[in-house]
Amino acid sequence: MATVPLYAVFRSDFVMLLVLVDDEDTMEVVAQKVAYHVIRRRLPPRDAPMRVQYNRRVLQPDQTVSQAGILPMSFVEVFYDA
Amino acid sequence: MPKLERSQWYDLSRDMNWDFKYVNEEEVFPEALSHSHSIPSAAWWTWDEPYKISYCEYVHNQAEKDAGVYSVRSAIARSKLFENLDPGWKAAIIAHYGAIAMPEYLASIGEARMGRFGRAAAWRNMALYGTLDEVRHGQIQFSFPHELLKKDPRFDWAHKSHHTNEWAVIAIRHFFDDVFTSNDAVSTALQLTFTVETGFTNLQFLGMAADAMQTGDVAFGTLISSIQTDEARHAQQGEPTLRVLVQHGKKAEAQRLIDVAFWRSWRVFALLTGMSMDYYTPLAHRRMSFKEFMLEWIVKQFLDQFRDLGLERPWYWDLFLQELDWLHHAFHLGVWFKRSTVWWNPDAGVSAAEREWLEAKYPGWHERFGTYWNTIAENLRQGNVGHTHPETLLVVCNMCQLPVCSPTVGAPPWQVTHNGRVYTFCSDPCKWIFEQNPARYAGHLSILDRFLAGHIQPPDMAGVRAYMGLSPAEQGTDAMNYAWAFEQPRAASAS
Repeated sequence: MATVPLYAVFRSDFVMLLVLVDDEDTMEVVAQKVAYHVIRRRLPPRDAPMRVQYNRRVLQPDQTVSQAGILPMSFVEVFYDA
Repeated sequence: MPKLERSQWYDLSRDMNWDFKYVNEEEVFPEALSHSHSIPSAAWWTWDEPYKISYCEYVHNQAEKDAGVYSVRSAIARSKLFENLDPGWKAAIIAHYGAIAMPEYLASIGEARMGRFGRAAAWRNMALYGTLDEVRHGQIQFSFPHELLKKDPRFDWAHKSHHTNEWAVIAIRHFFDDVFTSNDAVSTALQLTFTVETGFTNLQFLGMAADAMQTGDVAFGTLISSIQTDEARHAQQGEPTLRVLVQHGKKAEAQRLIDVAFWRSWRVFALLTGMSMDYYTPLAHRRMSFKEFMLEWIVKQFLDQFRDLGLERPWYWDLFLQELDWLHHAFHLGVWFKRSTVWWNPDAGVSAAEREWLEAKYPGWHERFGTYWNTIAENLRQGNVGHTHPETLLVVCNMCQLPVCSPTVGAPPWQVTHNGRVYTFCSDPCKWIFEQNPARYAGHLSILDRFLAGHIQPPDMAGVRAYMGLSPAEQGTDAMNYAWAFEQPRAASAS
C-alpha cells in the first residue's frame, strides 16, 4: 500500500487537482476520489458510470493503479461514460 | 547672466561617459549585471530619452505630486467615503496593496541596477529617477493602507504579504524576481520598463484609476494616477535600450526577452486586474471589460510599439488572444473557490445582472462558467457551504505558479524532465520560458512541490492555510456574504 499523488481533472471541470490515491485502488475508486472534489461542488452529478483515462487509454474499472503502471504525478482524466 | 536653453546644457551635464584607463570594461560593468550583448560602449552612448528632466525639477515635481495625493487622503480620512464603498471594490484594493506595494520597493532594486550598470550615462541618470520613483511608490502604497488599518485589518497585508508563502504572493514574487529583482540591466530595461510598465502597468494603474473614480474611491484613484505619471516617465528606458539592441543586430535576443516578459505579465495581470475589473468593480461603475482594456491598451497600442521598433508579435499571440476570453474567468473561479487562502474577500460577482453583463461582454460565458456557479449557488442555498471550499490543492504551474486551468480539459499538462525532476506547466509558453534557461528556474519549489515534499504540516488544508501565514481572521470569505446566491431565480440553479 503506497500513496500515489496524481494530477487529475474531471472532464468539463476547469482546473487540475492534486488527488491522492492508493496504488491498490481500482480505477472505479480512483474515479470516485477525483469526482469527490468536483461533482456536486462545481458540476452536477449524472446517472452514468465514471471512467479513468490515462495515457490516452480508457482503463478497466477493476484495474488497479499499480497494474496500470500509473506513476506519481501522472495525469489522469475522469469522465462520465454516457 | 542669461539662462541657457535646456538643449545647450542638458546633454553636456548628463552624458558623463568616458573611456577607462585604470580599470577594464568588465571590472566596471560586469556582464552578469550589465549584459552589453557585445555592443561597444560608444554605441551604448547614443542611448537617449525624451524627458530630459533635471534633478532640481524632479524633486520639485515629486514634492508637488506628493502634496496633492496626501492632501486628498487627509480630506477623505475625515469622511465616511471608505465605509460607503462597495465590498467588492474593497476586495480589489486590498488585493492590489498586498500584490503591488512591496514589489514597488523590489522595482527600485531593478532601477538601481540600471542606475549603476546601464551602459550609458543618460540611461543611468534616468534610472536614478526611476529608483526614487519606485521608493516613493512603495512608501505611498504602504502609507495609504496603513491609514485604513483601523477600518479593515486586512490592509496589513500591504506590508505582510511578501513576507509570507501565500500562493498568489509566491506567483507574484517569482515573476518580479525574474524580470527585475534578479535581472541584468539590459534585460530589466526590456522586461520591466518596456514590457511590464509600458504595457501592462497601464491596465492596473490607468484602468483601475478610472474604475476607482467611477466607484467613488477618490483616494485610491488619486494615488494610482499619481504613480502612473512616474511610470510613464521611467518606462521610457525600455525603448532606447531596445533601439540600441536592434540597431546592432540583437533583434532576436530582444524579441526573446520581451516574449518572456509579455507572457509572464499576462498571467499575473489576468489574475490581478482581470478579477478586479470584471468581478469586483460594482457593475454600475464598470466602464470597460477587462478584455476591452486588453484590446485597447495591449493588442492595439502596445502592439503598435512592437511594430514601430521592428519587432514581431510574440510567437504565442494566437493563444494569448484565445485566452482573453476565458483565462481570468477561470482564475477568478479558482480564487473564489479557495477564498480562504487569500487575504481579501473575493466578490463572486455572479448575481443575475452581473451574469448578463458577463454574457454580453464574453459571449458563451454562461455555457462555459455558468454551470459551475449554478452548482455553487445551489450548495449555498442548501446550506452546504463546506462544498464550496476545496479539500485538496489545485495543481499549479512551475513557471507562473498559478493554477493549471484549461478550456479544453483532457489534454495532459505540459511537462519537462530536468536533472531527474519533472516540471509541470500550464501552457506551452510557460514551458518554453523554462526551457530558455532551466538553471534559472529549476531550484524553485511551487506550493504544490512544497506540499508533496512534506514542508507543509499537517498535510491538509488547515496546514496549507497556516503555512501561507493566514490567520483565521485574515482568511478570505465571500465579499457579499453569499447574498448573490439567494438572488438568483431557482430555475437557473443546477439540476
